[in-house]
Amino acid sequence: MSGIRRQALAVARRDLARERRRGEVLWVTVPFGIIALLLVPLAIGTDQATLHRVGPGLYWVVVLLFGVLVGVRGAADETGPQRDAAALLGLDPVAVFAGRALATSSLLVVFELVVGVAAIALYDIDLIGVGWLALVVLLVAIGLGTLATIASSIVASGAGTAALVPLLVAPLAIPLLLGATQSLDGLRQGTSILSWILLMIVVVLVLGIVGVVSSGPLQESR
Amino acid sequence: MTPSVPIVEFRGVGLRVGTTTILRSVDLVVDPGQAIGLFGANGAGKTTLLRVLGTLSRPTEGLARVLGVDLTTTDRYDLRPRIGLVGHTPALYPELTLRENLAFAAEVMDVARSRVDEALAMVGLAGAAERPAGACSHGMQRRAEFARELMVERDLLLLDEPHSALDRDAVDLVEGLVARTLDRGGAAVLVSHDRDRVAKMADRCVELEAGVLR
Amino acid sequence: MTAQAEIRDRRWPWYVAVVAVAVALSLSMISPPDAVQGDLIRIMYIHVPAAWLAYLAFTVTLVGSIGYLATKRMVFDRLAASSAEVGVYFTGLAILLGMIWGKPTWGVWWTWDARLTLTAIMLFVYLGYLALRRATPDPDARAKRSAILGVLAIVQIPIVHFSVVWWRTLHQPPSIIRPDGPAIQDPLMVIALIAGVVAFTVVYVALVAKRMELARIEDAIVAREATFERPVAGEAVVAPDLSPEPGGAR
Repeated sequence: MSGIRRQALAVARRDLARERRRGEVLWVTVPFGIIALLLVPLAIGTDQATLHRVGPGLYWVVVLLFGVLVGVRGAADETGPQRDAAALLGLDPVAVFAGRALATSSLLVVFELVVGVAAIALYDIDLIGVGWLALVVLLVAIGLGTLATIASSIVASGAGTAALVPLLVAPLAIPLLLGATQSLDGLRQGTSILSWILLMIVVVLVLGIVGVVSSGPLQESR
Repeated sequence: MTPSVPIVEFRGVGLRVGTTTILRSVDLVVDPGQAIGLFGANGAGKTTLLRVLGTLSRPTEGLARVLGVDLTTTDRYDLRPRIGLVGHTPALYPELTLRENLAFAAEVMDVARSRVDEALAMVGLAGAAERPAGACSHGMQRRAEFARELMVERDLLLLDEPHSALDRDAVDLVEGLVARTLDRGGAAVLVSHDRDRVAKMADRCVELEAGVLR
Repeated sequence: MTAQAEIRDRRWPWYVAVVAVAVALSLSMISPPDAVQGDLIRIMYIHVPAAWLAYLAFTVTLVGSIGYLATKRMVFDRLAASSAEVGVYFTGLAILLGMIWGKPTWGVWWTWDARLTLTAIMLFVYLGYLALRRATPDPDARAKRSAILGVLAIVQIPIVHFSVVWWRTLHQPPSIIRPDGPAIQDPLMVIALIAGVVAFTVVYVALVAKRMELARIEDAIVAREATFERPVAGEAVVAPDLSPEPGGAR
């Protein structure tokens, strides 16, 4: 068990170090997400009241659609020889899954925060219940990161990986989208959001179990 | 490991992917302390055979045992840290420095971090440790991969074109690495086009021709 | 290695299907018009069976996926894939008919009813499943990976379903007509509906059986080529011909 944790942390650190050098998430995906937030008012009009109303929902849609791209990174960035060499270090598939999901989720938190600041500024979104908000951000990041990691390893060997992962992830990520948007609504209206939080926790747990169980068969080359 | 158990025991091993047969009834036994030279034309299946030996491709036919473990079983993960593979395409992460690349391997294999710099010094790359692998020449990247193999102890060493892109010193390095593995009762399989050089290092040479071993 | 590619061409499911469809179609025509919707109600006799098939096909795909993972037998993979292909068609049909029905009934092509939303989501899960199969050339890898996706869907779809239903109950639109369909009073309407469901199910079974048979033949051809006719990998590379005649010289 400690071996798996050590390996998972090594994988996460490797992925994050590679991402730091490349800056793909921070300098490509994040600006892309912010552009999406800029485009919407150009298309639907700049009425403050409307933007204030649709802002939070729009933000989560952007997080879901563009956040998937953060997860796609994991599928495309390892060449065959790199995968072989890593396998012969004795990497446990569960550790690879956990490490990749951890790295992707961490990157998603960064993505959510930076794009979130832009959304607050552009749409005049109220920040209510920061503690709960932080929990929602975290749960979406872990859920989406885990789902994207599983989807990336399902398509890993095939061609057209980058286009396929978002198609697989988006429909299955709907509970996360609903959980996040409804939680924000609840916070704004002062109603209880506990059940939505619980829903997201269930999603995270279920995806975690699927990821662990499927990691062996998925990473086995043949 | 008892010396009577062969490191590699292949009997009638075949591998087919989709409609293509890549290996056909390969018989190969490699005993501890032996180095085997493996020759063959482009596309004869040398690299695939090496991947099967490295547990990375699962054979579709025959009996295949490496280090006493049946390769058709699912439980090959314990075996893998005992097998070293240096392919002809660099397997380093180009964004990471040479030291970071080796440190990742050390961390995964639970090897002391101090061994990273020792190994880099042994292959003459101490001065380039901070350089990203992508900014290193092909030869330097190969040296770094040999450093990774020096850092850990492997029972089976698989080298694909070990002499390509290497200068005289580095070739000595390969020979030293192989000798070290053989001395501690391991074995090595060397794939090459450079028959003369490999024949000097190998106890036995085999030729792969269109998926069949001769 | 059983590489038998003889074609088992069963005709009888098609005869049954034609008869069942003819009966269902006649019943849907002679059943009385709806008190409110008039003849529009007749769309229901196709829409409801199509929607039923969408769910049935999806369930069968999941059963096939689990079956493959448990037994590694290709017949389950073929079942899952064939059912998904037929399922995509009927899901699309159900959605399309629903929209055509919805426009004159509610005045809009689309409403955010939970069931409608879920059916649309399922269509995209199906499409992703089929896209994954197309993108994975190796048959074993394709079977394994798509089966795992199938299982991922089986655990996630109920949560999607639950969350969408919950979302709808919280946000019941104030004055829009509930798209539950009309109340069915006439017994002939019930019979016509049941006949439709039966007929569509027979068509589904016939289509899936045919598609599975086709997939089996495809696999058999691949296997036969692998064992006998195809060259070994290395034979693709031959010694270069360095004779001094360039290609264009005659």
